[in-house]
Amino acid sequence: MSHRDASGEILAGFIAPHPPHLVYGENPPQNKPQSQGGWENLRWAYQHCRDKIKALKPDVILVHSPHWQTVVGHHFLDVPKLKGLSVDPIFPHLFQYDFELDVDTELAEACYEEALEEGLAAKKMVNPNFRVDYGTITSLHMLNPDWDIPVVGISANNSPYYHTHDYAQDQMIKLGQATRRAIEKTGRRAILAASNTLSHLHFDREPAIPEDMSQEHIMSHEQYLWDMRFIELIRQGKLDEMMDILPEFMEKTFAEVKAGSLVWMLSAMNFPKIPAQIHGYGTVIGTGNVVAEWDLDKARREGTLTEEAMVHA
Amino acid sequence: MPSSTTAENIKKAFIVPGQPHLALTDGWPELTQAFKKAGEDARSVCPDVIVIYSAQWLSVLGHLFQSDPNPKGVHVDGNWHAMGDFEFNFKVDTSLAKLAEEKAQAKGLATKSVHYEGFPIDTGTLVALKYFNPDNSIPVVIVSSNVYADKEDSMALGESMGEALRESGKTAVVIFSTALSHRFMTEEIQSTDDRIASEQDDEWNRKMLDLIQLGKNQDAMDLVEDFAQKANPEMMFKGFYWLMGVLGTPNVPGELLAYGPVWGTGNAVVEYSLNN
Repeated sequence: MSHRDASGEILAGFIAPHPPHLVYGENPPQNKPQSQGGWENLRWAYQHCRDKIKALKPDVILVHSPHWQTVVGHHFLDVPKLKGLSVDPIFPHLFQYDFELDVDTELAEACYEEALEEGLAAKKMVNPNFRVDYGTITSLHMLNPDWDIPVVGISANNSPYYHTHDYAQDQMIKLGQATRRAIEKTGRRAILAASNTLSHLHFDREPAIPEDMSQEHIMSHEQYLWDMRFIELIRQGKLDEMMDILPEFMEKTFAEVKAGSLVWMLSAMNFPKIPAQIHGYGTVIGTGNVVAEWDLDKARREGTLTEEAMVHA
Repeated sequence: MPSSTTAENIKKAFIVPGQPHLALTDGWPELTQAFKKAGEDARSVCPDVIVIYSAQWLSVLGHLFQSDPNPKGVHVDGNWHAMGDFEFNFKVDTSLAKLAEEKAQAKGLATKSVHYEGFPIDTGTLVALKYFNPDNSIPVVIVSSNVYADKEDSMALGESMGEALRESGKTAVVIFSTALSHRFMTEEIQSTDDRIASEQDDEWNRKMLDLIQLGKNQDAMDLVEDFAQKANPEMMFKGFYWLMGVLGTPNVPGELLAYGPVWGTGNAVVEYSLNN
C-alpha cells in the first residue's frame, strides 16, 4: 500500500450483484458445488471489472451488502483476518464457499469513527467467529477472485425497511459521506462495490439443473422495463433523475437497491454525473442484475469530473 | 370445557422469542426466567422429539427441513455479534423430518431437505435449544419459514407435521419461535429502558395474546392478517398457522408465562398444555 502518504481517493465504484449462482457457475476451487456453467453474460461482465481493478492497483475494496442485515446501526467488519465456510441459507446447494479475507481494519475503524461523526449509529464487528455473508463474498469474489486486495465489509442497516424512504436514504447518504472522508483521511486508493440486484422479484422454484439457461428469464416484462429505465438513466449520467424514480422502482420491482448499497456508493462518490459503463445485464432466477462501473479515475484524468458534476441536487 | 383435537402424543406446545439477548445476556430477567420454566416444563414430559418452526430460518425455494443428523458448529448472530457465540452440537430426528416432508409433498407443497456441512442454524432455533434441550439429549426437527407461504400453505405444512407425529407415535413438544411485534429500537439502549416500540404494537400484541390465553385459537388465527398489518410481527406471524396446523387448532388456552420487550420488539413465552 504505497499510496497512503497522499490524500486518499475513490478510484471507481461498481454495482456488483451477488446472486450466488455466479460463483456456482464459475466453479472456483473455494466453492464445493460444481456446475456446468450458466449466467455467462454476467460472469463475463465481471471479467471486465477484474481486469480493470487489477490495472488500478487499489489498496482496498469496500463492499456494502444487503445480506448482512443489521438493525442497530451500520456495522463494519473489523477483524484483521476472517476465514471459514459460508453456506448460503437460501441456496445452500449452490454456495458452500471457503472464504479467507484480509480486512483493512485501519480503514474500517476510520469509517466507524466518521459514521459516528455523521450522527449515525455504528458498530465495529470484532467477533473472530463471524460468518461473512454470501452477498459480501460473492461480490468480492466476482470482482477479485484472487482475494489479494484487503476489504472492508459494511452491513446494510435495515432502516430502509423501518422508516420512510427519505429518512432511510438520508442515512445512506451520510454513510457514504463518512466513507469518503475515511478513505481520504487514511490515504487509501479505494474501489467501492454496491452489492445489490436491480429488480428483485423472483421465481420460487428452480429447474432441476439450476444452470439450465433455457429456463432463465426475467420474472416479468414490467421488471425488465423498469430495469432498463434505471440503466438508461445511469448510462447517461442522469443521477438526479435516477434518484427521483428510485422510490417507485423499489416499490414496483422490490428492487434490492432499497437496502441502501447503491445510494451509499453514489454518495461516497459525490453522485458523479458521468455516464456509468454497463458491463452487462442478466437475470438470475428471475431477478434483474446489472454490472456497472463509474470510473472516477478516468474521469479525473479526462477532466470530466467537475464540481458541477458531483453534487446531488 | 376446553378440548384438544391434538394428537395424543403431542404433549405440549410453546410460543417463544428468538432474540439472542435472552440466551447470551442477563438483561431481560422476566422473559429469561419464563423461558427457563418453559424448558423445564417441556422436559418434564420426557419428549422423544422437539419440533421447531423458527421465524428466523427463512427460505424461498419451498419449505426446508433440516436433515443433517448432527449439525454442529459455531453461530454468531449478524446483528448481535458482540453478545458472543452459540456453539451447537445437536441431534436431528431425520426419520421424522423425512416423514413430515413426504406428507408435505403429498399436499402439494414444495420442500427440500437440507444436509450441508456448515449450514447456518438460525439464532431463534439456537435460543430455543438452549432452554429446551440444554444437554442436546433430545432429537429435534427444524422447519423453515417460507417467505412466500400463505395461510393455506403454512397450515398444510403444520398438518403434515401433525400427521407425521401421530403416525410416528413419538411423544413431542412443539415450538414456534418468533417475536410478536418486530420493530426494533434502532439505537443503543439499556435493557432497563427497553419498551415495546409503539403503543399500537403493544395493543396488538396484547389482543393476540388475550385470544390465545382464552383458548380462542381460531379467533387468534383469524386475527393474524390484521395483526401482521398493524404490528409488523416477525414473518407476519405465519408460524402461528403452522402451529395450529400441527395441533389441529384446539380450543385449549395458552398460558402466558411472560410478555415484554426486547430492544423494542414484543416477545411472549406461551405454554399450551395439551395431553399431559
